[in-house]
Amino acid sequence: MTDTSGTPLLVVDDVAVHFGGVKAVDGISFEIAEGSITGIIGPNGSGKSTLIAALTRFVPLTRGALTFDGVDLHRLRASDIARHGIARTFQTVRLLPDLTVEENVRLGADVSKDRRGAPERVASALEATGLTEVRRSYPGELSYGTQRRVEIARAVAMAPRLLLLDEPTAGMNQGERTEITGLMKQLSADGLTQLLVEHDVQMMLDACDHLVAMAAGRLITNGNPADVVRHPGVREAYLGRKWGADARA
Amino acid sequence: MNAFYDGHVVIIQATFVGILLALSIQVPLRLGVFSFAGAGFYGIGAYVGGNVVIRADLQAVPAIACGAVAAAAVGLVLGLVLQRLNGLYLAMATVAFDLMIGVVAVNGGEWTGGPTGLYGILTDLTLPIILVVVGVFLVAAELSERGRAHRRIEAVREDPELAASMGIRVGAYRVVGFVVSGLAGGAAGAMNVMTRTTIGPADVGFGLVILALTMIIVGGALSWKGAVAGAILFTWLPQVLTFVGEWQELVYGCVVLLAGIFLPRGLYGLWVDTRRRLAARRRPPALSEQAHQDVPQEMTS
Ligand SMILES: Nc1ncnc2c1ncn2[C@@H]1O[C@H](COP(=O)(O)OP(=O)(O)O)[C@@H](O)[C@H]1O
Ligand SMILES: [Mg+2]
Repeated sequence: MTDTSGTPLLVVDDVAVHFGGVKAVDGISFEIAEGSITGIIGPNGSGKSTLIAALTRFVPLTRGALTFDGVDLHRLRASDIARHGIARTFQTVRLLPDLTVEENVRLGADVSKDRRGAPERVASALEATGLTEVRRSYPGELSYGTQRRVEIARAVAMAPRLLLLDEPTAGMNQGERTEITGLMKQLSADGLTQLLVEHDVQMMLDACDHLVAMAAGRLITNGNPADVVRHPGVREAYLGRKWGADARA
Repeated sequence: MNAFYDGHVVIIQATFVGILLALSIQVPLRLGVFSFAGAGFYGIGAYVGGNVVIRADLQAVPAIACGAVAAAAVGLVLGLVLQRLNGLYLAMATVAFDLMIGVVAVNGGEWTGGPTGLYGILTDLTLPIILVVVGVFLVAAELSERGRAHRRIEAVREDPELAASMGIRVGAYRVVGFVVSGLAGGAAGAMNVMTRTTIGPADVGFGLVILALTMIIVGGALSWKGAVAGAILFTWLPQVLTFVGEWQELVYGCVVLLAGIFLPRGLYGLWVDTRRRLAARRRPPALSEQAHQDVPQEMTS
């Protein structure tokens, strides 16, 4: 599925984000091939969410460059990132409580210049995430797992070229995780490039074409998922006993 | 018109002016901007409106337009200057702005009439003119509570970071909020000066902020319908409460306190929440939602 021979859609080049003395991200480089699903693994606090925040211009870069399809992302404002085709979900659910599921997803569909196509994008995003039935409900009336799916639907409705998913299945059960993995593969088959942050190693092995392992803001290794999880540095920094537990599950 | 109207013409006019004053405080709040500059805009609209009537002999409609545009221009500058402030700091800065308008009113020489104010501001203002002006603002408010504009305003207020990630220029929305607040406050002030034919420093004081806030907190901060309900309630309540005499302030205070405790989203919020709950009960429980709430273990492989 991965076509590493083509020009990469995103180039992360020696990126560092420091908050005062905290080196949240400290010199990360990797590339994302168009159409691929790239995963980032790493223990809590290793800088994964900060990297996504840098990609969406929420935090300034201390060093390095982010190039998306030839565009230097740090020349853009946060509000221009979406128009360039980058959508994200958040690690915590961030839905608007006074809008229905459908309206929340429509907020994503509104991003595109193609206004006429918005209702259709909403309908297909709801369909893909299995939310059609609850489209008139308000977020507060839904379970946590369902709310997370609304987040994903909202990002998908933006019709992005790169989708950033920050722990999209946190708080979901195994059945829902399998569904989300299926959805990601479906979107990938339709040509959508994705960057996924997750802790569930099995899911990462199932979903990703390429894996990036981080710890304490630095890159441990990146490459073929099966190789990455076998890398001794990765096992030491992150997997350890948890990998054993996840593998049995 | 009829006897009731003739007997209550002043308070009927005051109700509509109150609606616009409430809107001028509500517009920024709907965008999550804690600006109380609406009271200052009201003062600017009142004095500019008064001056163009006295000096340039303008009639009601152009005078209202002058007051509204002048206040909106100040709103634009204020919005740009205060762009970096948020929350309490922004609230304090806008309160300071209101107090500055009060100081200017006292010390403005012949332009403001000093402590005694301006008199004899006579125009052709009629109730239909007031209705049309207020109607224009209410139609605009209603449009902003529908569709794309509504969704975007919700995002700007509830989660500016999320809004930015949805391509929304949060800063621009906030500045527009200041401008619209200026238009509404300025128009309210100008109409007030013409209905009363006089204006003085006491009419543009900090009490206006309290009054407007009371209206929208009790009526509901998130819709023009709340502003209208609040403006009607708190323009007529003192009238209704005259029988309690000196206890009026106390009764008034209790109404606000009780509303704050039991109706945190105001009268309009109560209506919305009740309707939403009834709708949720009417909807058949969604199968997908149930399935996801308690996924049977056998689905886990
Ligand atoms: N806005 C911020 N200000 C200061 N420190 C931050 C900020 N955001 C994240 N950090 C710190 O940066 C580090 C990386 O955090 P994060 O990117 O959230 O990690 P992850 O997503 O991998 O769990 C943590 O030590 C965190 O406390
Ligand atoms: Mg994180």
